[in-house]
Amino acid sequence: MWEQANLILRRSADRIADNVADFLPGLLVLVLILLAALVVAVAVRLLLVRVLRGMEFDRRAEQLGLRVLVDWSPTEGASVLVARASMWLILAIGLLAGLSALDATMPTQFALRVFQYLPNLFAAAVILIVGNFVARFVARSVLIGAVNLQLRSARLLSAGVRWLVLILAWAMALEHLGIGRQILTLAFAILFGGVVLALALAVGLGSKDMVSRSLERQLGEPGERPDRMTHV
Amino acid sequence: MASTGSSSSPARPEADPAPADLAVGLVTYNHARAAEAIGQTVRTVLSARPAASAHRILVADAGSQDGTLERLRGAIGGGELVEVPFTAQTGDVLDLPYHGMPGRARALRAILREAADGGAQACVVLDAATAAAGPAAAEALCRAATELEADFITPRYARHPLSGALIHGVVYPLFRALYGARIRYPAASDFACSPRLLQATLADPIWETERGQSGIDLWLSATAAAGGFRLGQVPVEPMAREERDAVDLATTVRQILGFLFTDMERRVPAWQRVRGSRGVASLGEPTGAPAGPPDVHVAQLVDSFRFGWRELQDVWAEVLPPLAILQWRRLASARPDGFRVEDALWARTVYDFAMGHRLRVIARDHLLQSLAPLYLAWLASFAGEVRQAPAAAGEERIERLCLAFETEKPYLISLWRWPERFRPAKIRR
Repeated sequence: MWEQANLILRRSADRIADNVADFLPGLLVLVLILLAALVVAVAVRLLLVRVLRGMEFDRRAEQLGLRVLVDWSPTEGASVLVARASMWLILAIGLLAGLSALDATMPTQFALRVFQYLPNLFAAAVILIVGNFVARFVARSVLIGAVNLQLRSARLLSAGVRWLVLILAWAMALEHLGIGRQILTLAFAILFGGVVLALALAVGLGSKDMVSRSLERQLGEPGERPDRMTHV
Repeated sequence: MASTGSSSSPARPEADPAPADLAVGLVTYNHARAAEAIGQTVRTVLSARPAASAHRILVADAGSQDGTLERLRGAIGGGELVEVPFTAQTGDVLDLPYHGMPGRARALRAILREAADGGAQACVVLDAATAAAGPAAAEALCRAATELEADFITPRYARHPLSGALIHGVVYPLFRALYGARIRYPAASDFACSPRLLQATLADPIWETERGQSGIDLWLSATAAAGGFRLGQVPVEPMAREERDAVDLATTVRQILGFLFTDMERRVPAWQRVRGSRGVASLGEPTGAPAGPPDVHVAQLVDSFRFGWRELQDVWAEVLPPLAILQWRRLASARPDGFRVEDALWARTVYDFAMGHRLRVIARDHLLQSLAPLYLAWLASFAGEVRQAPAAAGEERIERLCLAFETEKPYLISLWRWPERFRPAKIRR
């Protein structure tokens, strides 16, 4: 009996040793990949900081509507934030690549799914950045145009346009990410349609007197408005 | 009718016209109602010329839909009128310039090229609205073309200082400070020019550009002033010019100042060397009192500025330095009767916007349109000073403003040469 128990224990130990022996090369590869990713990440970070600062990215970030980058890292600047995010992204990719080297089913599948998801993430990020820029540009156009037309609700109009564009951009980004597709589509359609309908009703019914007075000011009698003068 | 390049284009004028002493050019666009008056002006002017002198009447129509050309032929005489075709672009009508003449640069070049090919000794170009108002401007320019030895002659209209305030308050002072030439109306649509100027300018690609359609008159004046050409000016009797529908103020500011600021970037070596300004050769002195002041509501102008201050100070902070923002803030809380914009502040503000335009601190269209409320503030201040004053006092006031622009020019040069000195109130990290 003692010999049988000994045999079972030896076999178990052998199995564990075999498993560890099978696992160790993969672990070694994982460590090597992580080290390589770390070297690349640090190099990319240093390079990005230099390049972005040379392009005056910190100054242009706010112009492009990327104020969130400026606010997030007020002491170091947007350039350092972008460089740091790139570094961690490279490390994360390195970790995923290393996991696939372990030759284990679950980590490999997980890594593959993450890699397949990355293009959607990138596209969503681009949509958000472009949407932010467009929202800022359009809002400023509306604000300046409304001020020159002497519309007292200039800031409200500008904010409304800005939020509409931002909501559209976020909806498109979330659809790319595959988050709550049908619910998101419905919610967006209801919200957008509701806003447009409310505006139409407000202009058509609730604000007709205000719109009428505003139009009368624009088409007013000669001499009533400053811009009836001959400026040229 | 403007040519579209298709087979239905009207016939070109005669291949080998007889050399003419004077070519009179007209650019028209839906001026059928004024055709008779224009014809009367042209006949009056040309009948006063010596019998031995030869002349040509050239017309470039920008695509009128009301039969302008037919009526002009009837008014002037079909045999005398030479229609100059040119290729109009669709965008010319869609983006109407402040002067109301789509494709003006293309039409103008067609006329000037025809005049140059015809061997004209001088070319007088008249705006249709000016010609319809009477022969005063045409007579003055034709007389100056023969008596003044100048390559480029512009009219000096007898206008109240508040009529054409954008010219008096921004365009003329800025143009004078930059190029050192006291061309009173550098954006005038009427002018006379010599073959020498034509040869130097007709090959430039600006005639076909989109921005050239709105700023070609300014470009001609700047080219003549910066290119060492002989300049001349002739006073024009007061006249009641037809008021056409113009674009809104913000668009006018965007087009005129946008062109000036962009043109500055092309002529940096020319204007940075200039100090002060010089008068141009003039044929006579202004006579006749201009019309009374237009109806100006100073309180409304101040209110427009205050509204602009409340909503656009963030935009202005992207362009103006902290001291200027502080000064404009004080003005925003000033009473209308004590509302005065200092000349130095106004000059520096214009220069800051020129610099902001060059560096593209924000979208250029936004920057230019946001200047409109500031211009209304200056106009309110200017109107408060000259509205009840005689015309001579108004001219003196404009002269002081021009001197302020010249005095502050080193500020502009300093910013231009060392852009790191351009530090708006909204400082970026």
